[in-house]
Amino acid sequence: MTPQFYLFLLVNGLAQGMLLFIIASGLTLVFGVLRIINFAHGSLYMIGAFLAFSLSTVLEEGSLISFMLLLLLVPAALMIVGLALETTLFRRIYDQEHLLQLLLTYALVLILDDTVRVIWGGDIRNVPRPTAFSGSVDLLGLSFPMYNVFILGVGPLIALGLWGLLYRSRAGNLIRAAASYPEMLGALGVNVRMVMTWTFLMGCGLAGVGGVLMAALANIDLGIGMEKIIECFAVVVIGGLGSVWGALLGSLIIGVGISFIQLPLSRLAVVFPYIAMALVLIWRPWGLFGRPER
Amino acid sequence: MVVAALFALPFILNRLGKIGEYWIWVSTEIIISALFASSLNLILGFGGMVSFGHAAFFGVGAYTVALLMKKGGIPLIPALMAAPMMAAIMAAVIGWFCVRLIGLYFAILTLAFGQLLYMIVFQWYNFTGGDDGIHGIPKPALLTPVNYYLFCLVIFLVCFLLMWMIVNSSFGLTIRTIRENMDRAKFIGINVKRFQWFNFIIAGAFAGLAGGLFTELNRFAQTDFLHWSKSAEPILASLVGGMYSLVGPALGTAVLMFLNIFLQQIHQDLIEIWAMILGFILLLVVLFAPDGLVGLYGRIRERIDSFGAI
Repeated sequence: MTPQFYLFLLVNGLAQGMLLFIIASGLTLVFGVLRIINFAHGSLYMIGAFLAFSLSTVLEEGSLISFMLLLLLVPAALMIVGLALETTLFRRIYDQEHLLQLLLTYALVLILDDTVRVIWGGDIRNVPRPTAFSGSVDLLGLSFPMYNVFILGVGPLIALGLWGLLYRSRAGNLIRAAASYPEMLGALGVNVRMVMTWTFLMGCGLAGVGGVLMAALANIDLGIGMEKIIECFAVVVIGGLGSVWGALLGSLIIGVGISFIQLPLSRLAVVFPYIAMALVLIWRPWGLFGRPER
Repeated sequence: MVVAALFALPFILNRLGKIGEYWIWVSTEIIISALFASSLNLILGFGGMVSFGHAAFFGVGAYTVALLMKKGGIPLIPALMAAPMMAAIMAAVIGWFCVRLIGLYFAILTLAFGQLLYMIVFQWYNFTGGDDGIHGIPKPALLTPVNYYLFCLVIFLVCFLLMWMIVNSSFGLTIRTIRENMDRAKFIGINVKRFQWFNFIIAGAFAGLAGGLFTELNRFAQTDFLHWSKSAEPILASLVGGMYSLVGPALGTAVLMFLNIFLQQIHQDLIEIWAMILGFILLLVVLFAPDGLVGLYGRIRERIDSFGAI
């Protein structure tokens, strides 16, 4: 157990955490504005992963351009799905009580997961990595998979992009205002409904990006949606629902935590997110970055 | 009258031979599932809290009975008594964390704990048999399908009566007050968390009993009992039947189960997409009839009555 080895674990954990962040940030963003926790977010991510698989069979294998194309097309496709869901279903329940909102997104999980099963079947799939990312990088005498390093780079870029969007643009002002005082924003003549729709679409897009990246990182099967949504819940509970920074911190805690526990106690690694979540809930029930919710 | 019909049912079915046997099995399963759904509805409809991890307690009850009977060699009745107790203990531990949170957080945490238990059962091969489950649970000699049906029916009716008493007791009224207005309940000095915790434990215990009964019927305990999709069943049943009433969940269970069999008869492929069909049903109920069939019936009655008045 040399220091390099710990570094290795750390880098891999951070890469896993970054991937988780991309998905969880979508969930938390949507919650912040729509006040709906979208159980179907994991299903959207799963659709993204399987869509990436289908498209990759058509596109040229191993080329960087086709991978970039996936990163563009899949989120776009999911945003179309999201638009359909938002305009036909979510819009009807914004004013309803929490219980019904939860049950509606839960119904979507049942429908979407089964749709994926009918279309793609139960086989294990993956997306070939582009040759540019298929090797490994040597760093401090250790070799890291190139693809993990790539994810490690993409994660902060997306975090930075989100920060820029939320805190340095007019659209971000509107989103944050809609999260805090929707009535006031509406009174100022802003179309709050539109802000909500766009935020939801952004969440779907992020789920799509996560799906593509995941499909090339590991094998995908029908269980990944549920698995990821629970991890995402752990993340947002740790970080605080609705907080993007909380999601970043929570993702990294979960990613690095699992990576470090995996080796000595592989069985405990699965349990780690729940333990972390339980501890945070006892100590700060509204999460590290959240505000007490009513 | 309904009760009398339910008691007479197996004797009629028994005369029908092979098909009758199948229907006795189905009706027993409906009764057990109805108990499971009713137990969830104590939290869902009366408590106003969505739990996505209720299958955990069903599973704990099921595995308690399976392990005690198979490995411990304990007779059915004591094993069945242990099932709700174990489930209640588990519900006490899980509930202690969960009821500290309201609304969304509660739902998330119940789902997480449910999946956690599922994974523990799945991985703890030496004790639970992992995904092989536990086969060959002994069957007492007296227990013919008809007897077991009657046994389950009696237990269900007793539990139903107990739940009726709970819901209409001061405890049940307090729980409903909390559902309607938590802040006001707090202001008048109700210890909200403690009431919700007790309610969670009671619901868990009933679910454990249902799990135990089902294991004996199935004579096989499997990890699916704890899976999140198993938690969906009582939620769906409660919603379809009507979650603001006591009979709603039982009614919903029967309706969904018959629908399943009906679809199976029409076309085998329809069962392949059963989860999708359930999703659409849930969608329609949430959007158009949140109070389910019982609520729908009430509205139709009202319509007819007001029509008569004119």
